[in-house]
Order: sequence, then C-alpha cells, then structure tokens
Amino acid sequence: MPKVYNWQIGREMEYPYEGVRPQKQFAMIMDTNKCIACQTCTVACKTTWTSGRGQEAMFWNNVETKPYGYYPLGWDVKILEKLGVQDISGPVYQGKTLFESAPAGERILGYLPDDLDYAHPNIGEDDSTSNMGQGAFLQVPHMQWMYYLPRICNHCTYAACLGSCPRQSIYKRPEDGIVLLDQQRCRGYRECVKGCPYKKTHFNPMTRVSEKCIGCYPAVENNRQTQCTITCIGKIRTQGFIAPPDKAREDNPIDYLVHVAKVAKPLYPQFGLEPNVYYIPPVHVPPQYLYQMFGGGVEEAIKNYRNASADMKLLGAMLLFGATPEIIHHYKVEGRYTIGYDEKGSELVRVPLKEPIYLRVVYDDKYQTHRSNIT
Amino acid sequence: MNHSSVNLSRRRFLQMASAAGFGAMVSPSDLFAQYRYLSPVAVPNPLEAYPNRDWERMYRDIYRTDKTFVFMCCPNDTHNCLLNAFVKNNVVVRIEPTYGYGKAQDLYGNQASHRWDPRCCQKGLVLARRFYGDRRINGAFLRKGFKEWADKDFPRDPLTGAAPKELMRRGWDSWVKVSHEEANRYHAKALSNVAKTYSGEQGKKLLLAQGYDPDMVEQVGGAGTRVMKFRGGMAKQGAVRIFGTFRMGNSMALLDHHIRGVSPDEAKGTGSWDSYSFHTDLPPGHPMVTGDQTNDFELFDAENAKLIIAWGMNWITTKMPDSHWMTEARLKGTKVVAVTVEYSATANKCDDVIVIRPATDPAFALGLAHVIISEGLYDAAFVKRFTDLPALVRMDTLQLLKASDVFSGHKDSSLKNWTNVVPKGQYAPPTTQQKGVQIPEYLVKEFADFVVWDSKSKRPVALAHDQIGEHFDKLGIDPALTGSFEVATVDGKKIQVRPVFDLTKQYLDQNMTLESVSKITWAPREAILSLARDIAASSGQTLFACGMGPNQFWNNDNKDRAIFLVAALTGSLGRHGGNVGSYAGTYKNTLFSGVPRWTYEDPFNPQLDPNGAVKTKLYLRPESMHYWANGERLMKAGNKKITTGAHTPTPTKAIWQVNSNSSLGNQKGFYDVVFNTLPRCELVVYNDWWWTASCEFSDIVYGVDSWMEFKYPDMTASNSNPFVQAYPRTPAKRAFNTVSDNETYLGVARELSKLTGDKRFEQMWHFIAAERTDVYLQRIIDGSTPLKGYRFEDLENLAKRGVPALMNTRTYPRINSYEQVQESKPWYTKTGRLEFYRPELEFIEAGENLIVHREPSDATFYDPCAIVAAPHPAIQPKRPEDWGIAADDRSHITRQMRNTTYDVEGLLKTKHPLRDKGWDHVFHTPKYRHGAHTMPVDTDFMAALFGPFGDMYRRDKRSPSSGEMYVDMNPLDARKLGINDGDYVWVDGDPNDLPFRGWNDPARKDEYKVARLLVRARYYPGTPQGITRMWFNGYMATPGSVKAHETRPDGAAKNEETNYQALFRYGGHQSLTRSWLKPTHQTHTLITRKSWTNEVTKGFNVDVHCVTNAPRESIAKFTKAEDGGIGGKGLWRPVALGLRPANESPALKQYLQGGFVKIIKA
Repeated sequence: MPKVYNWQIGREMEYPYEGVRPQKQFAMIMDTNKCIACQTCTVACKTTWTSGRGQEAMFWNNVETKPYGYYPLGWDVKILEKLGVQDISGPVYQGKTLFESAPAGERILGYLPDDLDYAHPNIGEDDSTSNMGQGAFLQVPHMQWMYYLPRICNHCTYAACLGSCPRQSIYKRPEDGIVLLDQQRCRGYRECVKGCPYKKTHFNPMTRVSEKCIGCYPAVENNRQTQCTITCIGKIRTQGFIAPPDKAREDNPIDYLVHVAKVAKPLYPQFGLEPNVYYIPPVHVPPQYLYQMFGGGVEEAIKNYRNASADMKLLGAMLLFGATPEIIHHYKVEGRYTIGYDEKGSELVRVPLKEPIYLRVVYDDKYQTHRSNIT
Repeated sequence: MNHSSVNLSRRRFLQMASAAGFGAMVSPSDLFAQYRYLSPVAVPNPLEAYPNRDWERMYRDIYRTDKTFVFMCCPNDTHNCLLNAFVKNNVVVRIEPTYGYGKAQDLYGNQASHRWDPRCCQKGLVLARRFYGDRRINGAFLRKGFKEWADKDFPRDPLTGAAPKELMRRGWDSWVKVSHEEANRYHAKALSNVAKTYSGEQGKKLLLAQGYDPDMVEQVGGAGTRVMKFRGGMAKQGAVRIFGTFRMGNSMALLDHHIRGVSPDEAKGTGSWDSYSFHTDLPPGHPMVTGDQTNDFELFDAENAKLIIAWGMNWITTKMPDSHWMTEARLKGTKVVAVTVEYSATANKCDDVIVIRPATDPAFALGLAHVIISEGLYDAAFVKRFTDLPALVRMDTLQLLKASDVFSGHKDSSLKNWTNVVPKGQYAPPTTQQKGVQIPEYLVKEFADFVVWDSKSKRPVALAHDQIGEHFDKLGIDPALTGSFEVATVDGKKIQVRPVFDLTKQYLDQNMTLESVSKITWAPREAILSLARDIAASSGQTLFACGMGPNQFWNNDNKDRAIFLVAALTGSLGRHGGNVGSYAGTYKNTLFSGVPRWTYEDPFNPQLDPNGAVKTKLYLRPESMHYWANGERLMKAGNKKITTGAHTPTPTKAIWQVNSNSSLGNQKGFYDVVFNTLPRCELVVYNDWWWTASCEFSDIVYGVDSWMEFKYPDMTASNSNPFVQAYPRTPAKRAFNTVSDNETYLGVARELSKLTGDKRFEQMWHFIAAERTDVYLQRIIDGSTPLKGYRFEDLENLAKRGVPALMNTRTYPRINSYEQVQESKPWYTKTGRLEFYRPELEFIEAGENLIVHREPSDATFYDPCAIVAAPHPAIQPKRPEDWGIAADDRSHITRQMRNTTYDVEGLLKTKHPLRDKGWDHVFHTPKYRHGAHTMPVDTDFMAALFGPFGDMYRRDKRSPSSGEMYVDMNPLDARKLGINDGDYVWVDGDPNDLPFRGWNDPARKDEYKVARLLVRARYYPGTPQGITRMWFNGYMATPGSVKAHETRPDGAAKNEETNYQALFRYGGHQSLTRSWLKPTHQTHTLITRKSWTNEVTKGFNVDVHCVTNAPRESIAKFTKAEDGGIGGKGLWRPVALGLRPANESPALKQYLQGGFVKIIKA
C-alpha cells in the first residue's frame, strides 16, 4: 500500500491510494460544550435529503448521547474493540490505524452492522454513567456524566469508504474535499458501510445502493454552510475549509481553532482517516474517556477553551458560529466586534462580543407613552 | 498516478457479491456477469479525480426549489420563530431559519445582533410533514351523539335538565363531517339552548338537581351564559385569533341580554378560564413577594451574570434557541450551576451539579439563606433599602406593626413615589399614560405606613410605602434586623415586636441548618455551603433561572418566596446579571397592554369605524380551570371552606377552546376529567389544526388553518426574548378545508345574529369579515406601552422578510424589578418593598406567614403537606382539629388543609400513607426537548427521535407509533422489582382517586383499560433511587386509540376513524396526576397587579393570584407487565447485547473507562 502523511497522527501511514489533498478541504467544527441534542440538525438534514422511501432509518446527521448513545448501535465500542488497545502517548501515534490493522486480503479493519443496529436512532439519549445517589454534588470533571456528540460524515482526507469501495464509486471532490458516493455507479456491495468506522455510509434497501452525507455541496457550491450548520440553534457549528497545519492561516476561523488555539480535535484520530470534523471536547468529562475519543491533546484543548475570555481571537472565532449562513473564510476581532468575511474579503457579518444593553426613555413624547419593563 | 495496491482475492470478491444480494447465483461466471459495467471505467485515484460527475446534478435538483415564503411557528414554547418555507411544485418541501433576527430594531434605532440567529428548532423544521399530515382536520366535524341531541332539539331529563347520557359518550362515539357553516349553526343553537336552560330560577334549580355545589351555583347569578367557559390557550400567541375566544365570551353578554331580557348593565358574559395559572406556569410566590405576576429577565441577560443557577430548569431542552446565551456566558467565564433532581440534560452544560430530592426546593433555598445569614454574607444595605425584612411584626397579632398602632395621631404618608391613587368612581388612565402603580382609593388603607426599629435612635420609626431605595436613604435611619423590642401602642398596651428578618432567622436557625437541610433535601452539606458562598461572592450578579420543575409541586409558592429571599439577601434583583426569573409558559401577555381594547370591546357598542375610539366593558367572569379539572369540587373539609367568593367557579355546561391541547387532551388527571367530569358538560368545542386528544373528546371540532396557511395576520411576542413578531399572511394555499380561528368566531356570531335578530353579534367581527384584521391589531398596538409607535403594516412587511421588531420595553434585555432597584420606584406590594412576611389571615392560618418548607402533596416519602417547623412564636397554623378534620384524614383534598408541623427529625420519621402498600416511587412528569407540549411529537421523525425506543419500521408491533413514551427508573430500583431495561410496566397512582374515581367499578372496566398506564421502562442511571420520571409530551391513549391497536393488523395505536395517534398503548403520563388546590393561592387579601395595567387589586386575580395545581405530584407503584424483546419475548435487544446502562458487556465497560487507549503523559 502507498504511504500517506496523516498530520493528525503525526506520521505516515498505509492507505490504498496515493495521498492527494484537494485544493480546499471541507471542514466543520462542533463545540460539544454548546450542543443541546435538540436534533434540529438531524431534522434539517433529514427533511432536506433523506425523506424518501428506503431512507426511513437513515440519518446522515445524527446526535448521540455519549457514552450510551450510538447510531448504529455500539458502533464505536465495536470498532474500538476490534482495533484493540492502542498507545497514543506522544505527538506521533504509536499504535496501528484501521488500515494498518486490516485482515489479510482486506483493505481496512471494519464490520458490517446488522439492520437492527439502526433501529433506535436516539438510543441512550441522556443516559449518564454510573448510578445517581440520593443527593449529589458534582464538580468539574463530573464523575457521573454524559454529553452530546453530533455526527456527520467526516469527509476524511483518507476516507475509509473511498478506500474500501471495490467499484471506485466513491471519490473526493478536488475543489472542496467533499466525499461523494456516486449514486449511478454504486452497486450496493456495502463495502463502504463495512469499512467506514464512523458508519456514515448507509445502505438504502429500496434503491439497493448506498448513500452518504454529501456535505450539502449544492449549498457549499453557493458559499452557504451546510443545512445542519445553518439550522444549529446551539450555535455549536461552523463549516468552512481547513488547511493542513503547515499551511494554516490564522485569519481562517477553522484553522485558528484547530491549528493555533488547538481547541478542536478530530474524532478517533487513531483510526487513521484524518477526519475533517473537529470537536471541542466537553470540559466536564473525565479526560481518560476523552483521550480515547479525541486523542491526547484534550486537556490542552479544554484548558485553552476555558481561557477563552482572555483570548479575543479565540472568542471572536467562537462567537461567529451561527451568525451567518454564508461560509466564513476570514475573520478578525476589532474593538467590541468580531467580523466574518467571505473568500474575496467582503464583510459577511459582524457581531458584538457582548450583546449591548439599551436603556429607553421613561416617557416617549413623540408617541405619547410610557416605556416600562412591567406592562 | 497510482492504482489501488490491494488485490481483491477471488474468495473475498465472492463474499462481497454475496453481501450485495447475489448469493444465490450459481456459478462464478454468472456472478461476474453482474459486474460487466465495472471494467470500462477506471478511476486511478478517487482522491484526485473522478471521471463522470454529471450524476451530482441529482442532489442539486433536490435542493433547488421554486419559491420561498415566511411563516410564524408558534407552539407553546415561549420562543416563536419566523421560518422560511421552501416550496416546490406548490408544496412546502423544507424549512429553514430566516437569519432575520439580527436585523430587528426598535423605534429608536437600537438593533439586535446576529448572535440571535438562527432561530428555529427541530419541531419547526419537521412541520412540512405535519402541514400535509393525515391528522390535519379536513373540514368541521360533529360528534354523532351530539348531532342527534341537537337534531332532536336538545331533549333533557325533566327533573334535572341533564342531557341524555347515552348521547354524551365522548371518546367512544363516531363523527359526522359537515361544512364549517353547518357546524357554526349547531354551535350557535347549542350555546343558545344552554344559556336558556340554565338562566333564571329554573336554571338554578336544575343545576342544584344535577348535584352541583350550591356555592358554585350561586356564582352563576341566574345568567345561563355564566356556565359557558371560553378560553384561548396561551393567548399571547395570537393577539387577535386566540384572544378572540375571550372577545367571543365577552360578547355573550349580548346573548344574555336577549335570553333574560336584561339591560346591558346587568348582562353577563361567559366564564373565562385561566391559562398561565392553569398550565402551572405561574410562579405563585412571585406575586406574594413583588405583587407582580412574574419577575424575570430575558434570557440573553445571561452573559451579564457572574453566576447562573439553572434551578429546576432544564434550560437546554425547554429554552433551546436561547441555550447558546447560557453556554456562551459560560465560555466567557460565567459559572453555571444546576439545581436539579437528576443528572439532567442541562447538568452536562454546568460546572456544578447539585442533585436534590424533588420538591425540596424551599428547604434547599432556605438552607442557602441560613448559610448566607449565619456567615454574615448578606447585603444589609439592600435588605434595608428594598425589603420588608426590617419591618416590625407584632407578636400579639402577628400583623405588621402599623405606624398608627404606636404613634398617636399618626397620619399615613400620601402615596406619591411613582404611585397614583385612583379616586372612587374614576378609572385609572390608559396604561400607556399610567405613571406608576395605580391604587384604587378603596385599597389605600392597605398601604399604610409600617414601622422599623432604628438602631441609631433606639426607637420605632414609621416607614412609608414610598420610602424605598434612595428615598429611604434620605431618612438617615438604620433599621435593626435582629432583636426583640417592646413598644407601647396608642391604646396603652405594651407589646413585643420583632423584625421580619429576626423571625426568619429564628426559623432558619431552628430548622434549616446545614445538617437538617441536607437530610431533607439529600443535597450534600458541601453543596449547600459551596453554592451559598458562590451566591454571596456574586452579590448582585447571580441569575436565578428557575424552571417549571419545582413550580409543578404543591409547595411552589414556598419555593418562590425562599428563592427571592436568597436573591434579596445578596442583592441579586433588578440588575442586569442579577435577578430572579421563572420560565414556564408564554406569559407576559401583559406587555400587550392594549389587549383589553380587543377582548373587552363593549359588545353593545361595537366600533365599526377603523379610527374610532373603542369602548370597553368587562362582561367575562374569569375563573381557574383547575376546579373543573378537580371534578368541579371546591376545597373544603371539616367545617372549613377554603374556596370561596371570587375564587369559586361556576358549573361548566359548555366549553369552547382554541389553541390548546393541554386543557383537555393533556389535562392533569386526564382520565378523571374525560370519564367523570366531561360527561356533565353539554357542549365541547375545540378549534385545532391537528387532531389531538382534545378533539377525540369534543362535540364540535373546527379544522383551522395551520401556521403555514395564515390568511389573517396576527401578532405575538414572548417573555424570554425581546421580539414582537407579526404572523404574516402567507401565499400558501389551504391544503385542507380549513378556516381561520377568526372565521369560527365570525361564523358563530353570524348564526347568533340570525337566532336573535341582533346584528351586533356579527358586527363584533366586522373587520374580520372585511379582511381588515390589521384594524384590531393596530388598536392593540396603540394601547400597549412597549408597542405604541409601531404600525402593524410595517411589522407584517418585516415579518414577510423574516425580520421581527424589538419590544420597546424600558431596557434591552428587559429585566423585571429594574425600575424598582435602579430608580427606587415601589413594587406592587403593600410596603412598596419586596415582601418576605405575609401577615394576611389566610397565610397565618396556613402556617405560611413566614417562609417555611412544606412537603409536597403526594410526591414525598413523608407526611404529605407537612410543615417543617420546630415551635416558633410566629408560626401558629390552624390544626386539623381546629377545622374539625379527623386526625388521620389524609385524603386528596383534606391533606392540603392539614397544617401539621414537625421538626426535621420528626418529619423524617413520618411516612406517606401509601408507602407501606407498595407505592414507593416519586413519579414526576417534566417537559422535554422533543415537544412543545404535544406539538409535534407524533410526527414520524420526531417520534422516532424521542428517546431510546423509536423505530421508524415499528419492528415491535406493540409500539404504538414510530416511537413511544417511557418511564425512567433507577436501574437498582427496577432490578428489585424484576423489571429489565426496556420491559413494559404497569404504573399506578393513588388507588383512591387514580386513574379516575370509580375505576374499580366492574361496570367501568372498559374505561379502566384505557386509563391504566402501561409503558416501557428505561434504565436511567441519572435518576436517584426512589425517583422516576416520564416526559410530559406524549399523546395519551383514548378509547379510539386502544380499539385501534387491539384490532388493527399493524397494531398501531392510531384511531382508524380520526387518525388520532397515541404514543401509549394504554393510559398516559396524566394517569397518575390530579388537581391540587393550595389554600394560600386562594386568599381574598393578597394585593397584586392586574394584567395589562399598573392597577392593583385584592384577592383573586386570574393568572396572578389563583390556584396553580401541582401536576408533578404523584407517588407510584410499578409492576412488570411484559418482556422488552420484540413481541414480548426475552430481553430488549440492546440489553441482550450488553450495550445498555447497568448491563454493560466487557467491551462496553472497557470503553467507558477509556480503556481502548493507553497514554503516558509527558
């Protein structure tokens, strides 16, 4: 197999194809500390893309409560168990990726979920760890905990679906890095369903071919963020493009948060796919669990995140989440505002770092009325 | 270019082919034939390039739409969103937010920012599936039995006048579809018949013969219109269309005029039912402390706080679009603490989480107060300047010491500080012109000067209502907070007096020490200590965001008063970032202060000139629906009546409600209401756009327009955000045969005009008929202080672009108590101050003149309603024996009048009367993220996402829908009862009353089958042992849904005639609830502000001071019913696989520990 460089694990690794990075790479950041599990993203996605027959149990976007929520059932427990215990000490990953752990004759270590694994899309909702006593006082980190993990396709740099498709029906768009599954060419072998460790390709029993999150390319092509992002009322998401670390630009909010502030981390980087959805880890969860999910840098991420009030650039990037449906390519903090710009540098939106307080008159002579807070 | 370097083995290829469904192929050559398309296209590296991308057009086509329009989504969740509907082939295919909220401005050019965007949620985005759903009400429907009764010209029992029982079988009957006009005719005829039947002496005789309480009959006053109850639910959600129900009720005075031949002065309109208090949204202690309905702050004030306490408020599930204000405040350094009864959804967004026993919030708050006082952490200046805590209490009468008691010849100060006395015979000026509190002359004596003990001069000093804040400072006195003093009264007595603070402190020292509070509440001592110190350290900058949780328990006013005490002790009131709020329901319709110009327009003189002045007259008689829900029973026991006078309802013979499923279909004690109370009613009318459980039990159902197809514009606003928003008219065609709510009023009015020959019925809806709703809306705007200056036309045009406007309240964010604390203006109380002592007789008799902790009425392991109080000179309640109540009578109504006191140890030795009989679990029913009340939980996608049991394919035919409701149990509790995760269980409430009175009568077995709750149990490790939870939002089982799942081949609990979709097979969350009527909510003495004005009143004040019920009160017994596996066989699959809490496989255990990685930190 060719060797490709995966910056998330800090080394080269095996992948079925030669590494080629797109001109721009679709990316998303999700702040788990703000996710409220409302499922608005899920419904936005579902009503836009997957409301047809055969798609009933198909959620390209889902939100699961960790640790007991999984769609499909047990997906990460199962693949982690197959991969076994891996050493993630240090900046360079010591363990094996899923490609490197592929059984003989196969391209990647994977498994095919049972149909029933997709039955309960919100199983585990709000289930927390351990057993609540009669009365409790929890302080950070909470020793009894749960949090919400929203998920879409990671549009991986080294996508496992793409790598495992025997028919080469899955490809990465050079212009934006979105990974697509050709609906005409696919024959429904389900190798991608088996290969994707995140289980973000889905078999459609009506069309007999597989489908996956399309990164809302019809929107992205028009400079609009994805449906799940523009409807996110928790304002936990921003979607744009990420550069590899050596090409990071500080005025790109995604680059800033991932590469400079280092508050956003990939999901299961040890799998070796270089996923392009980044998560700000939940600050209240004990780190050991988070290492397993987001890698060894979670404590630094949490520390930097909790220090946001002292880092205006970090705060400015965070407060642009959800401020505009357009894709923000550049931003800057100026006075009490943070301002987002499009690719050409035109201003898209400016929001205050703190919403102002206005005081109105007691009596308005023009309209002849009192103005009060009571009635 | 590099080709794939992996060579597929032949064996592997066959495996894949098999997976793809070609496993039956016989020979490899056949097999390879299937892949003949494979060879021509080669993709050297799909990371780099792909040959044929034309297919991508497919998703662009799906995304492309023909046009968009904006509509208003406005369920009862207090948010209200203008949403963009995307239309293809004239069908709404998807919905998106408008991103218009950052463009909102006020009349002064102040603008909101785009931090307000996006506004929407999953419930709004799924509406495209609901607008065209099969439960849309297509036309108007008459219940068959009702139609027969009407067609026979309303035959009645000659002795009692009751309608024939066999024709009143609501819920079991079938339906006749009619035109809206025909329904209007039946409706008007029935109203007329009911009014006639129950008017005059004859009417009174019949009502008494039907067994109604004579006290209730007396309130009818001989007017048959008074036995009708009209109600627009959550009326602020439609200033015209929903408040219109009350206008309709007010105009029924015309009907009374015709039926009884009385003059306009003597005519009476219908009864009108409450809304905010009916939903138990009203925090009843707020008016007891501030005189105002609810003190709150718009939620975006969060980022001004140093400390936020989400207290019994599941903020992130019930205030979803405003959650980011909290999480962003936290991002910027605000500490967030949850006071909760479980590891709630909101807990995972908090720094500290304090789990307490449900309904012990009063004790918890008092425990905080005790720490703050005993450690000397309180803000004495705030306490002295703004509260009644320095006021002296006479220990002989327990009344506040009046200045006239001790100062001979004392003349009370005149009321001038932002206060106006309204002379007898005059009206207060219009609200827009009111300069502060308006006190009717007859109430002036209530505002008499009171007395404090000046520590400087060591003598009593009179303090006036006006002397608050800076006006108090001018006096230069220093009132004592502690101590006992002797004063001589003008009649020559020597009496002991003590400051309220001192009496309160004694109570806290006696009962609310760390140790005691920890025992009562379960909160660890360090939690109480830590939070109290945090609050003190954030003096003036703590936001107490209180939710529906503790409000739905019987002791809700104790809770409010205690929380206010903590806030006042630390100066966190009336300040940006420091305040108390209560967040349940769409209240603050008082901010539309011009609403009475619509609802109370004098029906005898309708104004037909769009610019003419409107004459108003109140003909309605407001009452609380809780008495009706309580089986039309008042509160009385022994020789004592608690419910008297203006609190007393009339009998209910006709009901018309719009915009409310919670008033019947999701009613507290639902099955008692529909099986015992509703049959006594003779006309039940609901307007709805979706067939709910309320419709299942109606006589007339009007199918009305959904938000998508509004043809009559309207207006709404909320309590938790600063926006006034128009419902724009939409270009969408009506998908079904529906009309506007406004047209139902117009239609019935037309028929009443025909019946009576009086054109004024119809003229009342003149501008509806003329399609000029804007005239009515403009009248409301012109009378509303935060709106005056707007033109409705402008608001609608903005709304069509997805942009709201800002309310012009005094501040942005609007915070209550701002004018009081910042500008030294009085609250709406007798002292003008925040009041922590309630000297009124009703409070003294209840033992609640001081703030105390009382146990809840049912959701407790201890003696229900018990007062925690060691002997205290100011706590002297009426005991059961004082009112002739038997010592051991703890029945449903009586226990609420039992004012028994225990010290803490004493309380902990008591037991709930059902505890030894298997009723071991508190069962509570909060609201959740997937529904705004019941909207839109039965929509397929929503049901599938509602909790762990959703399944779009309904593989288990027992599942009522693509999802179903469940009860959350602590796994250890469940195991003890032999209940596995995912099993079905029976859940029973108090067998004396539940699920309905008379359930054990063998003749009522069919009703009992419908009503007894059967539901899935979920192992939920976040809830403590003894505490169980079920969400409030499900549609409950009805006779039609039960018949459906028992007979339909697919087993769905979906009524085959009406399509009503239950989310339970049997029963519902309201199988275990019933009405509770707290005595302190029923006083005739409390002073409070009326809605829509600054005028104060005394006693009953609808939606401000009246009963609130306590729908979270129940104790339950659990019995395993069926296994959780598909079809009732074995374990639920996820349990069997070891992927559930308390049933973890070894792999899951390892996963939970983060055991799949090893890491050595440098």
